[in-house]
Amino acid sequence: MSRLQDRVMQQSGSSKPVRYLYGPVATVFAATQTGTWRIHRPVINQAACNRCGKCARFCPLDIITMDRKDRSRDVTVDLTYCKGCGICAAVCPLGCIAMVPEGGEG
Amino acid sequence: MVRKLLDGNGAAAEAMRLARVQVIAAYPITPQSPIAEKLSQFVADGTLKAKYLRVESEHSAMSCLIGAQLTGVRTGTATSSVGLALMHEVLGVASGLRLPIVMPVVNRSLVSPWSLWCDHQDTMAERDSGWIQLYAADAQEVLDLTLLAYRVAEDPRVLTPIMVCMDGFFVSHTSQPVEVPDQEAVDRFLPPYRPQNLYLDVDDPMFVNDLTPPADFTEMRYQQKVGFEAALEVLPEVMDEFARHFGRRYDLVETYRCEDAEAVLVTLGSMSGTGKYVVDQLRAQGQKVGLLRVVSFRPFPADRVRAALSRVPVVGVMDRSAGLGAEVGPVCTEVRAALSAEGRQVPVVGFVGGLGGRDLAPKTLAAAFSRLLEIRAGAPAPRTSQWIDVRADALQLREVPAGVRH
Amino acid sequence: MLQLKLYGLGGQGVVTAAKVLAEAVAVHEGRYAQSVPAYGHERRGAPVYSDLFVDDQPILVKSFVYEPDYVLIFDLAVLDKGVDVTQGCRSHTVFLVNSAQPPVDYPFSRGYGPVYYVDATGISLATIGRNIPNSAMVGAFAATGVVGIESVARALGDIFGKAGEINVEAARQGHAAVRKL
Repeated sequence: MSRLQDRVMQQSGSSKPVRYLYGPVATVFAATQTGTWRIHRPVINQAACNRCGKCARFCPLDIITMDRKDRSRDVTVDLTYCKGCGICAAVCPLGCIAMVPEGGEG
Repeated sequence: MVRKLLDGNGAAAEAMRLARVQVIAAYPITPQSPIAEKLSQFVADGTLKAKYLRVESEHSAMSCLIGAQLTGVRTGTATSSVGLALMHEVLGVASGLRLPIVMPVVNRSLVSPWSLWCDHQDTMAERDSGWIQLYAADAQEVLDLTLLAYRVAEDPRVLTPIMVCMDGFFVSHTSQPVEVPDQEAVDRFLPPYRPQNLYLDVDDPMFVNDLTPPADFTEMRYQQKVGFEAALEVLPEVMDEFARHFGRRYDLVETYRCEDAEAVLVTLGSMSGTGKYVVDQLRAQGQKVGLLRVVSFRPFPADRVRAALSRVPVVGVMDRSAGLGAEVGPVCTEVRAALSAEGRQVPVVGFVGGLGGRDLAPKTLAAAFSRLLEIRAGAPAPRTSQWIDVRADALQLREVPAGVRH
Repeated sequence: MLQLKLYGLGGQGVVTAAKVLAEAVAVHEGRYAQSVPAYGHERRGAPVYSDLFVDDQPILVKSFVYEPDYVLIFDLAVLDKGVDVTQGCRSHTVFLVNSAQPPVDYPFSRGYGPVYYVDATGISLATIGRNIPNSAMVGAFAATGVVGIESVARALGDIFGKAGEINVEAARQGHAAVRKL
């Protein structure tokens, strides 16, 4: 046990160009990838959508992007962060966003 | 009497209902929230006739209780961690005014790092707040110690508020069968509250918590010291009476298989049960080990600790708080002081473990015992605290490229 | 002393299931039980677990379960989420799995004790109308003999109140439908 403690107490005397931060800090932001929370995924009917932009304005995470002048380009949702809250589907005036269960957890 | 499945939070709420608290002011905080919720439910469904004050903080909760208790009613609250820290200022008001408030505290570590989980730093930070501190080891003890705490706190010789401490999650959220006494039986043990000291009455005015000059301050603190000394007598008295009423026996300290022990580990809270389990296992392997559990940390029963350890050649203490800046953790500091006061040169090894929710699992406590037995066999005894469950990479947790911003 | 580990996803009633079994053993059979839930950053769909101790004498240990004698898996999706359900298991460890099909090719399928399976999801959808497999699972667990089905039924009545009846029905169906691999 004391040997373990001795090892802990030794500063890393390495020549590697790294150092270590002390205290509660995250340097890997896995927890911010809120897409892992999702149970339902928004699926947009691109053909029916008129690019009004309401879903993007209401999205709490601001992760819906669209080209309002060019309907040939798809509306996209960044699924890395989308929590599947369904607000986009709820506010869509044309009802062209469906909330589809994610596989494996239906 | 009815046998119910309760966790520590449920047992605390049942005890406060059985004690017929009349005013409740509580602010929810993990892992105490179920106490606040259950008390609220009891008031809503009429099984507890009390006024439930919704407050915006723990500081306000305790402030409300102080005012309520001064009008001559028994009061109830509970808190945890940073909630207890936010109460800090008013804890001293309650104890200085000699108000016998009983408060379950669900032990959770203090910030920072942020944690929801168990260690004892929150209550250790309040060990000089003028409150008695009892540490329950399971849900049954939460119920029993809370009930007897009212009798001790309200005793005219004591008049000191009491924290009934329970380990977050390991007691607060762990369900077990609990013997819940009938209301009539509790009423016989715990009569209705009658203020024995300060009270507020419009027909008989007092001005409490007034500015006290140096000419009187020391004497009023001394009154509190006398109250704590009396508590060392009153606690066992009330515990004996509790045993006569309910059949379950408590004491200031509890010894477990210490008779011929070569090494004894001193524990506090829920680790004590796990410690007894480990003692049984090691005894079955022929190792002479025992356990001394501190039930009352404030007042600290130094005489009883000395007596229990008088013939033990090696002592260890498991602190569930870091005791930063001290040679050893706070419980170990007390044990060392108690033993050295008698001039004993016995090694007292301070362990630190179980911080921020890390489980003090049987293997961790077994490691502490084997360290003690090594010392018994001749290994040198360390003076400073031994962090029994720290990982080897403690100083290399968060790697970043060197040279950035420096 | 028997040690149990219950794995599932948030929202499936894993913590409640451990309490139901503890109540069945400790209140309705006069023995001793202790349920120890693991709390974290809870959210629906995340892996959760709960621990349970069962004994004929008072339980001293206040710790998590590290070497389970019984493992209950409420959703095989926990394996996809990186949970090692065989951690600490020994050759005698018994598994009870919520699965409509025989769970033949899983890490626990060979090398451990008996594997039981039951379509707890199907039963819960048919009886309760939602995918909350806990009552069917605790009913199926009674088939191991650790706890009686009547005690489980009484415990479900205590804990679920008005919804007790349909949960008891789910438990009885789970008890009847459980199969051994």
